[in-house]
Amino acid sequence: MKLLVCIKQVPDMESKFKIDADGVWYDRSDLAWRMNEYDEFAVEQAVQVKEATGADLTVLCIGPEQVKETMKKALAMGCDRGVHIADDQSHRRDPYQIASLIAAFAGDKGFDLIFTGMQSQDRGSGQVGVMAAELLGLPAVTTIVGFALAGDKITVKRELEGGVKATVEATLPALVTCQLGLNTPRYPTLPNIMKAKKKELLAVAAADLSPADALLQTVKLTFPEKKGGGVFLEGDVGEVADRLIRILKEKTSVLA
Amino acid sequence: MKFELTEEQNLLRDMVRQFAETEVAPSAAERDEQEHFDRALMFDRLGELGLTGIVFPEEYGGAGADYISYAIAVEELSRVCGSTGVTLSAHLSLCSNPIYLFGTEEQKKKYLVPLAEGTALGAFGLTEPSAGSDAGGTRTTAVRQGDEWILNGTKIFITNAGDADTYVVLARTDKEAQKHHGISAFIVEKGTPGFSFGKKEKKMGIRSSPTMELVFENCRVPHENMLGEEGIGFKVAMKTLDGGRIGIASQALGIAQGALEAAINYTTQREQFNKKITAFQGVSFQLADMATQVQAARLMVYNAAYRASAHLSYSQESAMAKLFASETAMRVTTQAVQLFGGYGYTREFPVERMMRDAKITEIYEGTSEVQRLVIGAALTR
Ligand SMILES: Cc1cc2nc3c(=O)[nH]c(=O)nc-3n(C[C@H](O)[C@H](O)[C@H](O)COP(=O)(O)OP(=O)(O)OC[C@H]3O[C@@H](n4cnc5c(N)ncnc54)[C@H](O)[C@@H]3O)c2cc1C
Repeated sequence: MKLLVCIKQVPDMESKFKIDADGVWYDRSDLAWRMNEYDEFAVEQAVQVKEATGADLTVLCIGPEQVKETMKKALAMGCDRGVHIADDQSHRRDPYQIASLIAAFAGDKGFDLIFTGMQSQDRGSGQVGVMAAELLGLPAVTTIVGFALAGDKITVKRELEGGVKATVEATLPALVTCQLGLNTPRYPTLPNIMKAKKKELLAVAAADLSPADALLQTVKLTFPEKKGGGVFLEGDVGEVADRLIRILKEKTSVLA
Repeated sequence: MKFELTEEQNLLRDMVRQFAETEVAPSAAERDEQEHFDRALMFDRLGELGLTGIVFPEEYGGAGADYISYAIAVEELSRVCGSTGVTLSAHLSLCSNPIYLFGTEEQKKKYLVPLAEGTALGAFGLTEPSAGSDAGGTRTTAVRQGDEWILNGTKIFITNAGDADTYVVLARTDKEAQKHHGISAFIVEKGTPGFSFGKKEKKMGIRSSPTMELVFENCRVPHENMLGEEGIGFKVAMKTLDGGRIGIASQALGIAQGALEAAINYTTQREQFNKKITAFQGVSFQLADMATQVQAARLMVYNAAYRASAHLSYSQESAMAKLFASETAMRVTTQAVQLFGGYGYTREFPVERMMRDAKITEIYEGTSEVQRLVIGAALTR
């Protein structure tokens, strides 16, 4: 069995962001970079499948030279090899172009299962995984919070609005996008970080994969206006508590 | 010259920081309050993450990484908990390292491998009531009887004692020889008859790191457990402390970094006189000085660590790094308490613990005075 996990490098979300001179993205200088949080769930799930089945696991990342560090984390977590789609302009590409690069690479490789995060923490479009699946002609299940594999069938849990869970089955090959709550990503241990150095890291130039033309264009990026703090719940204590529970259930994962 | 960490060192820092913040930090105040050494968290987990044998080769159960990685790990642990930082430093630098440097192949297989893998905890017994800064004053004796050495005496202030499984202990094997000669090192296992523990110290800081007496009463240690040749114990101890100073310097650096961040977070929120207090230059200048000193300490620590891994001489650099980083930790934590005002003096906030933890870094593994002695002696030789 062949597995692919697609990851993205994003800034530490606690960074102080500035809008870039071009006005359509953030300034990328002086930021600390890490693996997109949702992609950590994807890597963990892929590694678990690899450990259970002995499957071969490739990690793919599109971006400039610096993304290799994040790829090494995925290798240290257990991926077998990396494919770096070298692209200094990846932050300017729209989701469709990114999906087209993934599809162009994966097209003839015969992956049985592809894992991605459900969205990136910086752009947050949530489109790359599904579009790549469409381009590859694969079924896609999004925002999964539970995963089981038996033979050539996967059974996954999806979380719907208001905490409702749906169980979905699909036959391989398939693509899944991973959501918070799916698993607890392992730490890359120091010995595994050291071993990752010796794993294969293939480089492919983005241009060689002929990315599609963009379908979307970001016109302007602005900070949200500063709002006054929070929501006040007033009224009868019992009723306020019920409303609070409802809000926590719907808007957060505290009471999942 | 390159002032950049490698990808591996960056990944290690991220990993240790995440572990420290999610698992170590939440219990730090409570462990301090209760003087509780939580071995499962403060040592066993480090073993699972591959941190207990960072600098040793894989064949001895280590991770095969460098001293900068070691410095980063101790720094990141100490940033949230000085006690966890010293647990690793004493284990790795003071117990495992002399076995790596001076041990026979058999000793390394038997003792270093479990230490490096994190299944055995290590400690180092040099200090005695009459032998502190002056390690030559060692009075614990070891007398040979056939294939065994019989140890008698007391060691005090031993980090990790009681919980540790493996002890490197210095004892006088030749009473006639001059002070620094006639001392030898031994590996002693916990549970050896005649080896027990005395009182546990009640301390100002690093209170969740246990500090205890080792008591030897006709304790028989097999000759094969002598570490290095007979009579070179003083050299073993000095080499051990050269490396140990990198560990303590990193601990001091981490404590200082933690206090600096806490001070920045607090002062950028706190308002007095209708302003953020950082709007007062008297406050922002203090932050600037603190950050500058922490950065200088970091460069000195990493430089000493770099030299250790590059097999260049580093005892001068590690003494300077330890001296500067520990005095920086004391200054920066004291300033952090000041910047928190009355809140900083309470146990509601971590800076008072950091200030108490910082003080020991100026004392153990050679006081600041002893570091100056070492540095000065080398300059005027
Ligand atoms: C919490 C804790 C943990 C420790 N862990 C360990 C451990 O794991 N293993 C171990 O072996 N030891 C350990 N120690 C012992 C520690 O290393 C010693 O306390 C330290 O080296 C100082 O020795 P001393 O306490 O006897 O002080 P002293 O040597 O008596 O020093 C008293 C004062 O005199 C000064 N002084 C001494 N000689 C000179 C000189 N020549 N010139 C100028 N000033 C001088 C000192 O700087 C100091 O200010 C630990 C101590 C503590 C408190």
